[in-house]
Amino acid sequence: MSWPILSVTLFLPLAGAMAILAIPSSRARAIRLALMAVTALTLGLTCVVLVAYLAVPSAAASKLSGTANGQSLSTIHSPITFQFQEQVNWLQSGTSLSHLHLAFNEGNSAFNQAAPPPVNFSYHLGVDGLSVWLMALAALLFLVAAVVLSQRDTRLRTFAVLMLLSEVGVLGVLSSLDLILFYFFWEAALIPLYFLMIGWGDRNRGRAALKFIIYTVAGSLFMLLAIFGVYFITGAQTGVYTFDLPTLIAAQSFVHNTQATTFSLFGHSFSLLNPQEWLFLAFALAFAIKVPLVPFHSWLPDAYSSGTTPFLIFFAGIVSKLGAFGLIRYNLTLFPQASHTFQPLMLGLAIASILYGALAALAQTDIKRIVGFASISHLGFVVLGIFSLNVDGLNGAIIQMVNHGIVIAALFICVGVVESRFATRTLSQLGGLARPMPVLAGLFLVVTLAGLGMPLLNSFVGEFLILLGAFQSSPVWAVLASLGVILACWYMLRLYQGLTQGELRLPGPEAVSEQLQTVSRRLGRLDVGPVEVAALVPLVALMLVVGVYPAPVIRYGRFSAAQYVQAANRQTATDPALVSSRSAAGSLP
Amino acid sequence: MIAATAPGYPLHFVPAGDLLGILPILIVGGGAVMVLIWDLVRPRGQEVWLAGLTGLFLIAALGTAIGQWIANSGPIVVFNGAYANDRFALFADFVVLITALAVVVLSPGYLRRRGLAEGEYYILLLASVAGMLVLDGALNLIVIFLGIELLSIPLYVLAGFARDDQRSQEGAMKYLLLGGFASGFLLYGMALLYGETGHTSLTAIHAFLLRDATAGHIDPMVLAAVGLLAVGLAFKVSAAPFHWWTPDVYQGSPAVVTTFMSVATKVAAFAVFLRLFSATLAPYRAEWTVPIAVVAIVSMIYGNVVAVAQTSIKRLLAYSGIAQAGYIMIGVALGRPDGTQASLYYLAAYAFMNTGAFAVVTILSRRGEDCDRYSELAGLGRREPVLAGLMSLFMLSLAGFPLTVGFFGKFFLFSAAIHDGQLALAIWGILTSAVSLFYYLRVILKMYAPAADVGAVEEFEVASVSPEGTAVAAPTAVGPAVLVVALAGAGTIVLGIFPAVIYSLLQGISVVHG
Repeated sequence: MSWPILSVTLFLPLAGAMAILAIPSSRARAIRLALMAVTALTLGLTCVVLVAYLAVPSAAASKLSGTANGQSLSTIHSPITFQFQEQVNWLQSGTSLSHLHLAFNEGNSAFNQAAPPPVNFSYHLGVDGLSVWLMALAALLFLVAAVVLSQRDTRLRTFAVLMLLSEVGVLGVLSSLDLILFYFFWEAALIPLYFLMIGWGDRNRGRAALKFIIYTVAGSLFMLLAIFGVYFITGAQTGVYTFDLPTLIAAQSFVHNTQATTFSLFGHSFSLLNPQEWLFLAFALAFAIKVPLVPFHSWLPDAYSSGTTPFLIFFAGIVSKLGAFGLIRYNLTLFPQASHTFQPLMLGLAIASILYGALAALAQTDIKRIVGFASISHLGFVVLGIFSLNVDGLNGAIIQMVNHGIVIAALFICVGVVESRFATRTLSQLGGLARPMPVLAGLFLVVTLAGLGMPLLNSFVGEFLILLGAFQSSPVWAVLASLGVILACWYMLRLYQGLTQGELRLPGPEAVSEQLQTVSRRLGRLDVGPVEVAALVPLVALMLVVGVYPAPVIRYGRFSAAQYVQAANRQTATDPALVSSRSAAGSLP
Repeated sequence: MIAATAPGYPLHFVPAGDLLGILPILIVGGGAVMVLIWDLVRPRGQEVWLAGLTGLFLIAALGTAIGQWIANSGPIVVFNGAYANDRFALFADFVVLITALAVVVLSPGYLRRRGLAEGEYYILLLASVAGMLVLDGALNLIVIFLGIELLSIPLYVLAGFARDDQRSQEGAMKYLLLGGFASGFLLYGMALLYGETGHTSLTAIHAFLLRDATAGHIDPMVLAAVGLLAVGLAFKVSAAPFHWWTPDVYQGSPAVVTTFMSVATKVAAFAVFLRLFSATLAPYRAEWTVPIAVVAIVSMIYGNVVAVAQTSIKRLLAYSGIAQAGYIMIGVALGRPDGTQASLYYLAAYAFMNTGAFAVVTILSRRGEDCDRYSELAGLGRREPVLAGLMSLFMLSLAGFPLTVGFFGKFFLFSAAIHDGQLALAIWGILTSAVSLFYYLRVILKMYAPAADVGAVEEFEVASVSPEGTAVAAPTAVGPAVLVVALAGAGTIVLGIFPAVIYSLLQGISVVHG
């Protein structure tokens, strides 16, 4: 793989953003076309990566992964195989601290400490069976958002540039294989998102944006601490000081963590949990906020209800998936033992999200908030699948992440059309829209059914596998989660029926709405336009294809699910004999 | 000191090597005299040439310092151990000189707009820079005190430079009184230390304390001295709870002076702080590390929490400066090489982002009054898209977002704290960083949100000035000043993506503690 396809994919949107900046802001049409071209090209590249990844037989994959990676440890022990790896050194400190060190160290025994370990991180990209799917999904959703984006939108150029910058961030999070690079993209992606949130949307957007950013960053700052923790603990125990993910995953087998952490705060010491459990919690907090899981969800309804449709397509569609991605990619692989310890906690939070999200969706009157809470409920299923910690559950979670991205984007398009036509989001003010808007009603029906997990549509596949996995873990979880499926029918159909069936109800005085109705019928302008159809049809088609013939998706998903389950089921070295025998086999430096 | 002159040299003869060692100080100090003379003979109304001349001297000093960095491989101690021209000092010199240069470029336009154009301004500025350079390499208690006073006295005058502005006068008076008070603490600490050890040279003091500590003897008088020194220096770096002057002085002083004061003073004072504590007083580390850590934590909490409630941009930046001092103090509290390195890195990062932020305030300042009210930023995103974009960048950097230099500043500090097992410092740093997002991002929101939308976050604002009323006076952004902001912005981004640029400088650094 000499051609750096991942870097090209990653920086194509950035180059596109620069190019769009060069177009005068008055030429809206050119900007929109350029935006669509860039996002389409990115989608093409991610599809090439996806196909190339899937084309490689799984047996050869493990051989491939080692080639670009300098550190031998990872090729031997890492249960996860990464492909298309690229690695360039980013910051590497030598050992030349000695100069400073000597001056400090002179003679004083209290001051004698080993030199600080070298800081060492790299620009390391790669994909596995989890991230290829999500990268393709991300690129697809950005293209859909670009299609939906109207030429008449205010400050179109700025929006387009910020959107492409967030695409860089999202693709970076998905493809980075170095903890610092990952954190870098994870946080940097928030900057364009923040500007998108404060610049476009309804009146509450400033507050919503601030809430979202503070929630997310507070969580991820703890993750940063935990990243240092992983770095120093792994380094101290195995001698490998690195932020490189494949190396760290491999090295976790050698990290023993039997002792509980002893903290000394200004002389007092107390012990609680072991290091791995602390680190697990810090990572999980950051990801749980992003997903969001229930106690950390309160940013979501505000953010989802105040955003504009194109923004929500990729924000709800892919950005929230990054949390679930992080749980799989980092929590399961770096903290296998803690993943098992905290399995009940995470499953409990997942169930809470499923049920709370569903009940809250039932209580909403704002159609965007209904979709927002539905999203919480659906993502609860994803986390449930992840922490079933078996192949079926994880496979379901991976598939459901992609499905949810497709479904939620389509839902927001439908709801967004309604909002833009009638300038209201209140469910009770609307009704019977199937008559003036038959095409929308038809597409909306498919999307709704997909959202509630109807067989022959995509969500059924994911939810079925997740429930299967949860049942293997414990039937109780599966029973509780299936309550969520029942509630899903209720809130989705409440939304659909309320909007499209029954008496025609439009906001405003009787006379005005009647006039609106007649005028619109004559002009045919109320229903979805060609742009919205062009955005919805591929999504609906994907729902049908995956729903009717899920076999290939399940097969490929199974391969990487098995890898992650294997990673999570590794026994970490708890007794010294195991440590020594393993390190002898692994030829640790 | 005088008695310690090396044998073989008559008292009046200074060896050329010693003079070479303090060449940057000589250039800047000499520059102050030259500017003073030029100010007397210059034709009226040609203040720009004064700025040019001042800039020239600063560039010459910077060039000399760079030359010395390249030339010297090891530490050079001159004047019989009174001054070290080591890379630690040179690094601090770079930061101070670059900041001063930026301030000089900003000054002419700003002073003209505010009607403060006077030659004394540049003389005082150069004198203060000379004091900072003295501090960077000071290896003797007397020299430290000399540097502190040389730095402070011109600043007292500069703070009150807007003679018609009551707040400027008030700020200057506060600064003078409290600054004198802090100098007293510092001097008392030095006296105690001298009384106990019999030396003013840091080298000798270190050796003495090392003997003391190795023998397991902790001297209470030395502890008192350490405490007093810490109070005096914490005042200069504006760390809580010794920060009370900061908001008033930052708000009252002319914006260019605040720019200079907030960055350069902090760098020089932290240079002494780091050298004194991490090196000279290292044998007593076990005694002072916890109190210093407490000061760091209190600064981070107090600065960040109080900044949330501010309605004035300059006060906001003042409290943010207190918080930033707390972060840098983490490196001091660790008292180890990686902490020192991280602190220096953060100081360099801070110079870029804070100079940039204050430079934007400087540019936005109108005739007779600084841009200070929060509401004056409203709609800046439309009026001045470039300035607003750069201001956002500096805010994000101060908040520690990736892609900006502020991220790696915090990265190295927290990583050093965790490596040294000071988890509490790192956790408080993280928690307060999250708080800081609120006010940094609110500045951005203010600039970009349409006037009607800001209501949601406006409830914190005491003074409600109608945005329409204040948005009228759009300042015409002037060339060189915008260049400074743009360069600071470029530095913030480039160093945020390639941290190795500064990091590799710090790799080869050496510090003489004696």
